[in-house]
Amino acid sequence: MTAPSLVPGRGVLRSEWIKLRSVRSTTVMVLFATLVAVVLGVLATSSDASGAATMTAQDRAQLDPLGDSFIGLIFGELAFGVLGVLAVSTEYRTGLIRTTFSAVPRRGRVYLAKALVVGAVSLLLGTLLAFGSFVLGQAMLSPEHLEVHLGDPGVLRAVLSAGLYLFAVTMIGFGLGAILRHGAAAIAALVALLWLTYPVGRILDHLSYLPSRMLLFNIADAITRAHPATGKPALRIPSLDLAYTGLALYLVVFLALGAWRISRDA
Amino acid sequence: MIEVHELTKRYGSVTAVDRLSFAVRPGRVTGFLGPNGAGKSTTMRAILGLDTPTSGRALVDRVPYRTIDRPLRVVGSLLDAGAVHGGRSARNHLEWLAATNDLPRSRVGEVLERTGLSSVARKRVRGFSLGMRQRLGIAVALLGDPPILMFDEPVNGLDPEGIVWIRTLMRSLASEGRTVFVSSHLMSEMALTADHLIVIGRGALIADTGTADFIQSSSLNDVLVRTPRTRHLADLLTAKGARVAAEPDGGLAVTGLTTEAISEVAAAHGVEVHELARRQASLEEAYMKLTDASVQYRAKDGGR
Repeated sequence: MTAPSLVPGRGVLRSEWIKLRSVRSTTVMVLFATLVAVVLGVLATSSDASGAATMTAQDRAQLDPLGDSFIGLIFGELAFGVLGVLAVSTEYRTGLIRTTFSAVPRRGRVYLAKALVVGAVSLLLGTLLAFGSFVLGQAMLSPEHLEVHLGDPGVLRAVLSAGLYLFAVTMIGFGLGAILRHGAAAIAALVALLWLTYPVGRILDHLSYLPSRMLLFNIADAITRAHPATGKPALRIPSLDLAYTGLALYLVVFLALGAWRISRDA
Repeated sequence: MIEVHELTKRYGSVTAVDRLSFAVRPGRVTGFLGPNGAGKSTTMRAILGLDTPTSGRALVDRVPYRTIDRPLRVVGSLLDAGAVHGGRSARNHLEWLAATNDLPRSRVGEVLERTGLSSVARKRVRGFSLGMRQRLGIAVALLGDPPILMFDEPVNGLDPEGIVWIRTLMRSLASEGRTVFVSSHLMSEMALTADHLIVIGRGALIADTGTADFIQSSSLNDVLVRTPRTRHLADLLTAKGARVAAEPDGGLAVTGLTTEAISEVAAAHGVEVHELARRQASLEEAYMKLTDASVQYRAKDGGR
């Protein structure tokens, strides 16, 4: 017998797109991420701008115009990650996964189609959100001439990386949803992975900085800044090469584990 | 046609399905009957390629389900009406399913019409009653206009109107030449719907027979006789070769003689007879007797 290929056709891709857009949680998560990114970004950069008059030269040098406009993306991450988790876990919670597999018995095909749709949507919206936060933040800073421009060294890369990071967190959530098949458990695991690992990394710092450098938190820090960090905290922040490699590793590991789990009986 | 060959499914030490073999033929309604926990749903999941059998195989139209490229066009199934996302509308639920198998969008409207859900198509499924969810599940099964249909306990929780609707639908699907395979733990329901019965208990085959034959072959067929002279008539009938048992209410349960023969004996000896009736086991009784030994979870007297 000739096994049909794993590559999903247009129909299966379209079905996953209909699934994603026809539930309210998708819209809620995207709106929440946008709202928080905008509000916090504006608050942080407007506070920078209002303090500009009393700033010393040193203060100005330490100001992080990029980081402050991205501050709301921390919540954005959580919303995107939850979106990724729910794209898989609700199918298991409701038993819908059986209907899905009876319509498309090649489970790898379902998984791939779902990952492609969720991945494309999160990459697009993540990039839009990163650029939006950047533009808005810099607009708040420009009256005081504190802003940076896309043409400045490293800035475009950092903005694109902020969008890329939102995509990566979504897909790690997606993998966790497939591995654990349970929404609350997968979201808890995602929160732990994103933030609760930070103190663990610090405990290990006296042995090696590598664990800290491989944490998503520090990877995000590395790739979303235009200039390398300075001072003692910089020891925990990976080089750009290590950061992108680490991020790719996370994606491969979580998506592969998810693919393996989804091939097991539901 | 659905074929199951020596199908076995074990979960750890529990054998849910035990070397089960049967075939489900087109053009008639085949009932899949067994007590709760007998392995009906497991068998159906194995047919749909959702559960991997421990050994043996299940084929639809001579191939394993998982190898079919657009399976909704071959087999329509309703396993669990609750398995829908409550936040999605009925129409959206059918639309993503239609997309998976490249079915034309017009099919969505057609099955909504046939199941009487057109007026609530844009409503979220969360607000649906159990009966409406069953109808939606049936709409899903009909979506690909498949020659084979499989329903797991479709009448569970339905009101009488819904039950009649499903019964009529299944009969009409079979009369169109389709293979219709319906599970139930209710014998009486199957007696009204199914032409053929596959009865299982503890995962193993108990009977694979026509519904009429199933009732006929039941050993519970006997004749009830009531007479004021119970002992006397019992002796006379026993002498004629009948087996006679006393009923608790004073009647006699006679097997081995027809009503005519019993009447002749009574008349010949001047014995007055108040009642003489042929009794046929109800399907429910025949079924209970058959599956008696195979009920897996039995309520214990008095509890603990």
